[in-house]
Amino acid sequence: MESSLSIICLEDEPEVLEAILRDLAPFEERFRIEPAASAQEAREIITSLEEANGQLALILCDHVMPGENGIHFLGSLISSESPVLQDTRKILLTGQAGHEDTIEAINEGGIHHYLTKPWDADTLLAAVRKQLTRYIILRNINPLPYMQLLDAQALAEHMHDKNLFSEG
Amino acid sequence: MATKRNLKPIIGLILGALFFSLPFIFAPEALSLAGQINLAIFLLAATLWVMEPIPIYATSVVVILLLIIGLSQQGPLAQWTQPSETSVTAVEGAWQIPAKAVDDDGRVWLRSDSKWRAESVEVIGESPTNASVRVRSNALSEGATIAARGNNWQLSFTPPSYTNYLNTLASPIIILFLGGFVLAAGAVRYKLDTNLCRFMLRPFGTRPAYIILGLMVVTALLSGFMSNTATTAMMVAVILPIIHCTPAQDRFRIALALSIPFAANIGGILTPIGTPPNAIALGALASRDIAIPFTTWMLFTAPVVIILLAATWLLLMRMYPCSVDKLPLELKGQFQRNRKAIALYVIFGATVLLWVTESLHGLPSAMIAFMPVALLPAFGVIGKEDIRSLPWEVLWLMAGGIALGYAMNQTGLALWFVDLVPWSNLGAFGILAAFGVVAILLATFIANTVAATLLIPIVMSLVGSGVVEGIALQTAALTVALGASMGMSLPISTPPNAIAMSTGLLQTGHMIRAGVVVGLIGYGLLLASAFLFWTRVF
Repeated sequence: MESSLSIICLEDEPEVLEAILRDLAPFEERFRIEPAASAQEAREIITSLEEANGQLALILCDHVMPGENGIHFLGSLISSESPVLQDTRKILLTGQAGHEDTIEAINEGGIHHYLTKPWDADTLLAAVRKQLTRYIILRNINPLPYMQLLDAQALAEHMHDKNLFSEG
Repeated sequence: MATKRNLKPIIGLILGALFFSLPFIFAPEALSLAGQINLAIFLLAATLWVMEPIPIYATSVVVILLLIIGLSQQGPLAQWTQPSETSVTAVEGAWQIPAKAVDDDGRVWLRSDSKWRAESVEVIGESPTNASVRVRSNALSEGATIAARGNNWQLSFTPPSYTNYLNTLASPIIILFLGGFVLAAGAVRYKLDTNLCRFMLRPFGTRPAYIILGLMVVTALLSGFMSNTATTAMMVAVILPIIHCTPAQDRFRIALALSIPFAANIGGILTPIGTPPNAIALGALASRDIAIPFTTWMLFTAPVVIILLAATWLLLMRMYPCSVDKLPLELKGQFQRNRKAIALYVIFGATVLLWVTESLHGLPSAMIAFMPVALLPAFGVIGKEDIRSLPWEVLWLMAGGIALGYAMNQTGLALWFVDLVPWSNLGAFGILAAFGVVAILLATFIANTVAATLLIPIVMSLVGSGVVEGIALQTAALTVALGASMGMSLPISTPPNAIAMSTGLLQTGHMIRAGVVVGLIGYGLLLASAFLFWTRVF
């Protein structure tokens, strides 16, 4: 088995966090889903992942939070050389997205996907599925265990293009 | 949890070391020291290949390393135990030589033309100290060079040069596969295979049964020239949209998901470069100076491939019929028209054309295979990134298998295995039937190439030893190599099976039921081809 892949959900409002976790439940089959109520808590999770030799596949992050905001937090991860954070996919989930915030999220936060609140579950699932598929491909992780959960076609094409499995 | 996971590799390594030491502990009498060393390497390799504490290709290169160290002329073992020489002196009408110069069979080893030759001698007297003996023999002469110790292992067995083992890494069969690999790399880069697939699928229409037939024919044809695994991955990407168009509980999805890996496994049989076990057969034949031309191989295996493919199609259609009459098939995609893509088409086409016409022009297929190896990089069709990502480990895997087979033939280990069983009672049919079924069973559980590697040297020595009449070496090699491609009843049997399982469209039970029937039909076809077709031609 590979080292375990994790998803961090960073959201300060408990009800909203619960709703996100409910929507992401299908991914629990292959990913460890870690809730975090603040940027500080998210950093602690990353540190514990480092100790456990884990990998962070995705951060789903709120923007407006007391203390450090989402974009700043995501931006601070870009320069990290931690093995946990290599190729981590970043989704920003925000209610009050101004023009400036959006630009900042892309330029400074290095986000890969932008979702607006309120979200609908299918859109969220599709976005997460796409980003996780991308992560599996980028990290060259054995795609077979993820075929059913993620984008099977993209993973099959990746296997073909990269000649991932040799014959024995 | 973590400790449990790490235990299996350790057990594998310990078992490997244990089996490695067995031949030296029990030292079978019928086996020379060279044979014992070879047996130790064989047992270690078999254990590592089956238990997989290290990757199977790594085991293969370890095999080559051990062969170089233990069984080559320049290896430390042969160097340190070189036979020392002495000369014959005449004493009172007889020859005086060291007592140990006479081996266990009462022979003396005479050196002439830098080779050792055994001559029987009659011992007529010993010296008081037992250090030397007097012997009579017409073959000896005053001052002749003989071995001081008649039992030295390098007298009856001349260790091959280490280059013979290393050369397997670039032997013509490996180059043949390398040619296939660079063509495949080019095809993937310019989407030639995907476009060919869509082009070839078009005539099969939209009726579900014919869609499956089309998918199987295309998969088999492509996997005959490309890796079975890459073909399966591509075809899985092709069938997923079709699957989304079928009703959710339709059992036809199972047929779709099984048709691809089965056709890929079967298609690998079609050409010499279709799948690695074929290389082991060709390598074993080549070491006996027998070549099977590309065309001949295809001609001899085509009946098996065509009938087995048709039977598998009928079987799947019967087991898992479709509930709808029509399925939409999206076949968009255009052949690329840039200059490099066209260069690829020309080189690809020319290579395949030259391969399949080998019997007309007689150019060896490995020679032709080197053409794309040279021309594709020369025309910039593939770059160094493509070259770096070729499946080199598959070449290593095959080279290790070929080297082990070569050694088993040289040291007499293969023949020793043969002598363990009274084969002559089985007769020609029984022998091929036995090796065929063992090949299929082994290949169901372990890597196909490994199954071929373990069996082919033995069946070749058996047939070559003349214990039974009426089987050509080619027939024996083909039977085992093809059998090794027919074990496909479990997800672990072949990588294509594993890919099909990962789609979640079928359960292991489906694969076992269909795979066992396909294996049985394949087995029947194999024996029928061997006795009705191959034995009459070879």
